[in-house]
Amino acid sequence: MITRPMIAAVLMATTASVSAAAGPLQVTSSILVESRSAAADGTTRITLVKPGKVTPGDKVIFVLAYRNTGKQPLANVVLANPLPAAISYRSANPGSPAPDVSVDGTTYGALDALRVRSLDGSTRAASPNDVTSVRWRIANPIPAGSQGQFAFQAVLK
Amino acid sequence: MRAGYRSVSVTALRALIAGAAGLLAPAPAWSEAAAPTPAGTPIVNTAALGFDLNGATQSTVSNTVTIIVAERLDVSLVRTGQGAVVVTPQPKAVPFTLTNRDNGNESFAIAASVSAGVFGVQALVIDADGDGLYDPAKDLPPADGRTPVLSPGQSIKLLAILVRTDSSGGAATATLTVTAQSTTGSGQPGSSYAGLGDGGGDAVVGPTGAIASVVVPITTGIAGPSLFKSQSVLAADGSQNAVRDAVITYTLEARFTDAVTGARIVDPIPQGTVFVPGSLTLDGTPLTDAGDGDAGAFDRNASAPGAAGGGIAVALGQVAAAAVHTVQFKTKIQ
Repeated sequence: MITRPMIAAVLMATTASVSAAAGPLQVTSSILVESRSAAADGTTRITLVKPGKVTPGDKVIFVLAYRNTGKQPLANVVLANPLPAAISYRSANPGSPAPDVSVDGTTYGALDALRVRSLDGSTRAASPNDVTSVRWRIANPIPAGSQGQFAFQAVLK
Repeated sequence: MRAGYRSVSVTALRALIAGAAGLLAPAPAWSEAAAPTPAGTPIVNTAALGFDLNGATQSTVSNTVTIIVAERLDVSLVRTGQGAVVVTPQPKAVPFTLTNRDNGNESFAIAASVSAGVFGVQALVIDADGDGLYDPAKDLPPADGRTPVLSPGQSIKLLAILVRTDSSGGAATATLTVTAQSTTGSGQPGSSYAGLGDGGGDAVVGPTGAIASVVVPITTGIAGPSLFKSQSVLAADGSQNAVRDAVITYTLEARFTDAVTGARIVDPIPQGTVFVPGSLTLDGTPLTDAGDGDAGAFDRNASAPGAAGGGIAVALGQVAAAAVHTVQFKTKIQ
């Protein structure tokens, strides 16, 4: 009678190590679009909203919001976002640190430091369209209860 | 011999700005190299995380977010060939290519009309074998004036079959207008049609407005001078979109069969545009805007119906038989 709940508890702990919901680092991924409205001071205010209809050529904003829900600091935090196939990377969203990018999913760096190898063996400078994955490394440990977010702009192919 | 003193005017050919975009093959806002993502495609995103806790490296993933690609309604219609088409009482086929620029499957309503009664549109047919020649047995008008459903990027060839309908023998010019529009909907880019997209999602009008028109000059080609006006648009972003500050280049091509004297081309600046100073040319040679020694001038006070921005005038004077003269000028959309 006692063993069953114990087995259940062990299973839950195993699950927690791979699940976002139960881990100390929670990351919420969202895909948003810009909504422009005229502010009272005459400027244009850009807010990010859930998309109504997204069609090819539209700009979309990928937002990764993170939070340390645990009781201890988390070190060497890395957030990686492989791009969906129909998405072309453009740039970091204003206000967000620039991600390291990769054109092969292995080597990450600044876009202007990356090169793309053609079928004939020659190489050329990488362009935003070549990016297949983006990644942020957070240099300092994230204190317990602390949160932040990263965002990048992309275009639906 | 014909004692010539003819005046050629294009005041009747005023092009409104609304028509400026329609005369042109729309500039695609997406890469031609890659097909647009099909309507109904789910875009699924999940981020991967890694961190160290108590000296142990752990990894996990974010939630998964999914959006569904809506159907974007776009079309292009391009004429195969250039210049004026000579139309006789015998059926004359004018070829076009219609392309589904949609990211979904779409049928297009097509229509053709001519601006003058001496010409008639006998039929607007689908060129079944795409050879550009009219075969009445195989090249048939589509049912209800609608093309079959075309897949994304698919093109079909159309033929407008024109005939001369009068028997006067006199010279005449006119224009043929062929239009294609998405049957799901068209209009202002961004307009949406809830639930009408492929897969039951929404459909949204794309940058082409989901409608395309081509205007083709047509002529009896028998005698007398004729004038053909065409235009091209160049926006600051390099596209052909008729947006504010885009520059429209108008080309007026005057063709003469006989020698004439006193020929003169006048054209008002269309409403909503302003003349670009110094842009007037005759046969490629710049003409000053002032009414001075050269053949042309821009007169900001020239009045014509619907033209508040003045007009250009170029005096061709004595023109030899079989001559062709081309006048160009630019305006900027306001």
